[in-house]
Amino acid sequence: MYKYDHIDQTLVNQRVAQFRDQVARRLNGTLAEEEFRPLRLQNGLYHQRHAYMLRVAIPYGLFNSKQLRTMALIAEKYDRGYGHFTTRQNIQYNWVTLEDTPDILAELAKVEMHAIQTSGNCIRNITSDAFAGVAADEYVDPRPVCELLRQWSTLHPEFAHLPRKFKFAINGAKEDRTILLCHDVGIELKKNKDINNGELTADIYAGGGMGRTPILGSLIKQNLPWHLLPSYLTALLRVYNRFGRRDNLYKARIKILVKALSPEEFARQVEGEWLHIKDGDDNFTQAEWDRVAKHFTKPAYKSLPALTNEQVLNLANESDKSTQQSFARWLERNVKPHQIPGYASVILSLKPHGTVAPGDATTAQMLAIADLADQYSFGELRATHEQNLVLADVKQSKLFELWQEAKKQKVALPNVGLLTDIIACPGGDFCSLANAKSLPIAKAIQERFDDLDYLFDLGDISLNISGCINSCGHHHVGNIGVLGVDKDGEEWYQVTLGGEQGNAAAIGKVIGPSFYADEIPDVMSNIINTYVAQRNEGESFIQTYQRLGVTPFKEAAYKDKNEKAKKKELPESKAAAGDAS
Amino acid sequence: MSNNTSTIANNIDTHDQILHFPKDGNPYLAANEWLIWASSQDEGGLPDVELGHSSLRKILVPFSWWIEHHHEADIQAKAKNGQIAVWFAADDDILKHADIIEEGKKVWPLVAAHFPIFRDGRSFSTAVLLRDRLQWEGEIRAIGDVLIDQLLQGARVGFDSFALRPDQNLDVALKQFDLFSVTTQNSWRGKRASLQAH
Repeated sequence: MYKYDHIDQTLVNQRVAQFRDQVARRLNGTLAEEEFRPLRLQNGLYHQRHAYMLRVAIPYGLFNSKQLRTMALIAEKYDRGYGHFTTRQNIQYNWVTLEDTPDILAELAKVEMHAIQTSGNCIRNITSDAFAGVAADEYVDPRPVCELLRQWSTLHPEFAHLPRKFKFAINGAKEDRTILLCHDVGIELKKNKDINNGELTADIYAGGGMGRTPILGSLIKQNLPWHLLPSYLTALLRVYNRFGRRDNLYKARIKILVKALSPEEFARQVEGEWLHIKDGDDNFTQAEWDRVAKHFTKPAYKSLPALTNEQVLNLANESDKSTQQSFARWLERNVKPHQIPGYASVILSLKPHGTVAPGDATTAQMLAIADLADQYSFGELRATHEQNLVLADVKQSKLFELWQEAKKQKVALPNVGLLTDIIACPGGDFCSLANAKSLPIAKAIQERFDDLDYLFDLGDISLNISGCINSCGHHHVGNIGVLGVDKDGEEWYQVTLGGEQGNAAAIGKVIGPSFYADEIPDVMSNIINTYVAQRNEGESFIQTYQRLGVTPFKEAAYKDKNEKAKKKELPESKAAAGDAS
Repeated sequence: MSNNTSTIANNIDTHDQILHFPKDGNPYLAANEWLIWASSQDEGGLPDVELGHSSLRKILVPFSWWIEHHHEADIQAKAKNGQIAVWFAADDDILKHADIIEEGKKVWPLVAAHFPIFRDGRSFSTAVLLRDRLQWEGEIRAIGDVLIDQLLQGARVGFDSFALRPDQNLDVALKQFDLFSVTTQNSWRGKRASLQAH
């Protein structure tokens, strides 16, 4: 894992001092709230519905046990004893004060953490594959590039006030776990012996994003040598900074510019700009790569035999059948293959049924998980886009032991990838942007689908919930998406179907008029029942949906509504008939 | 008097003092000599500075106005006298007028780039392009909604003088430039610290 050098540490310390001064000026009234707002946002500090919220960066999702302990203690000392892991590999504290924020940042700086550019109209925290460096399907470890670009983007002066926020994702595995195409810029790393002599190259996708106008990114540059990334991305951001729309907040994202110009024309303009700077000294040097990459070497793996799940189960040597079944399920859903024989990656579910919010972890859980990381995974952890945590380097022979420990912390529910592994934004309970609550909807669905046997039978289904059009819950790419909307001051929920993340990323389609909150569990049941009734052997929800199209699911979703409407109409039609007679 | 009032309404307000931060020097304050004239060509002619603020002897005109009027005899005379320079609006595409800027290098004592609101970063790119692409070596002044907390970014992209909004505290402003001793990108002022070997 990357370790700060004196430059990184100095920068972060000086940033804390700068923000401390800005807060002091805000508090003594010499800095107006309107002018403080972009400054605090660029330090991850929001003013939410009830309190300030601080969003702390976890660059490309990678962190260590020491950092997690600090996160836990910040939750205890400055918040209400919990933190919230987000879809963008950050952690949020919902109840901090403005006065405490500089001290929190100072505590974070001590463990090489910060909140720089986790919000605001600048380059945001760069996200990547939570399994980077260990995934069995990885062809390039993206972390050195992630780290180099983290440094390049940190406090970048030219791009400090872009038209809107700007999000990068970087992938280097066969399976895309980053929703690459839903980012302002997606960087796909490749090593191909036929391209650039097998050196690391990047394909650049631009103009993707969710929000109110979901669009998948377009390929605008192929086979860019890795060291030219800074000059190329500078050209790209410069075109956006100069020509992105600033007259309308909702049309200010790069996706609107790319769409308005066409991806070809946008690429041409970037190329035109890049011509002038491609050979300049902004580009990365080999020395920079070497300095950064040395931190991403493999940990001290032991030479171990690779085990099958059956062998792992046998090792557990449990006589209790129910426990064995639970462990088997956990192995199937929460344990992922690893590059190194004898090791596996483990997902700790932050979605136990009946919890307050997907992605929440208490101080006690964080401290315990930090211990688990030390004991089982070289002291390292990852935060996933799905709001879970990962111990990436667990010996297969220790899986049963780890599972028992994880159970004690209530982070061992084997629901990864299942219907109740819900992605949800904090919604109207916390967020001042939200039109509707999302957490009670998630909870109600988890309560409805609480039977693990049934969930297992249903298999892979992604369910994403956003409390407003900004789509922090990424509802557009959920197989089933739920979006909170406001109609005349009332909370309604719109359902989308057919969204998908991964290599076949797709934007879901709205099925029709929205529902009341209390209708949503029935709507979900009706949609799921349709899948169960119509599926072919071995077919996943999304495959059945793609085969049948939206109609049967839509009809099922509105079944109850239509029946109610018929019942309502009935007495009236009788009355009308009476009148006629 | 009424003439005076309307002239002022057509100007972009600034401090009486300008914050200068030369590339290889320390920040300092100096009296402002430049009236920043905001008027478009349709709203009357160039104000007569002799009748306006007594201290403001020179005029920064909008670049678009310059394009239209710089051939006029009195403008040329003033320009030769060093009394006229231009400011670029945030949406001016300076690369499309590289030839005019090249000519302007001979007469403009400085150029300025405007921030219509502090959170509009287009003029950061304008400054970069002026320095890197168009090889403007003279002063570039930030004008408009220029606030204390944008000084650092401005200084790094190529601005070396700042006409701060009149309500900004110049003492606080002067202290901004030494907040950071390290950087992780190159800038007009120097190479990134992260290039240093370890």
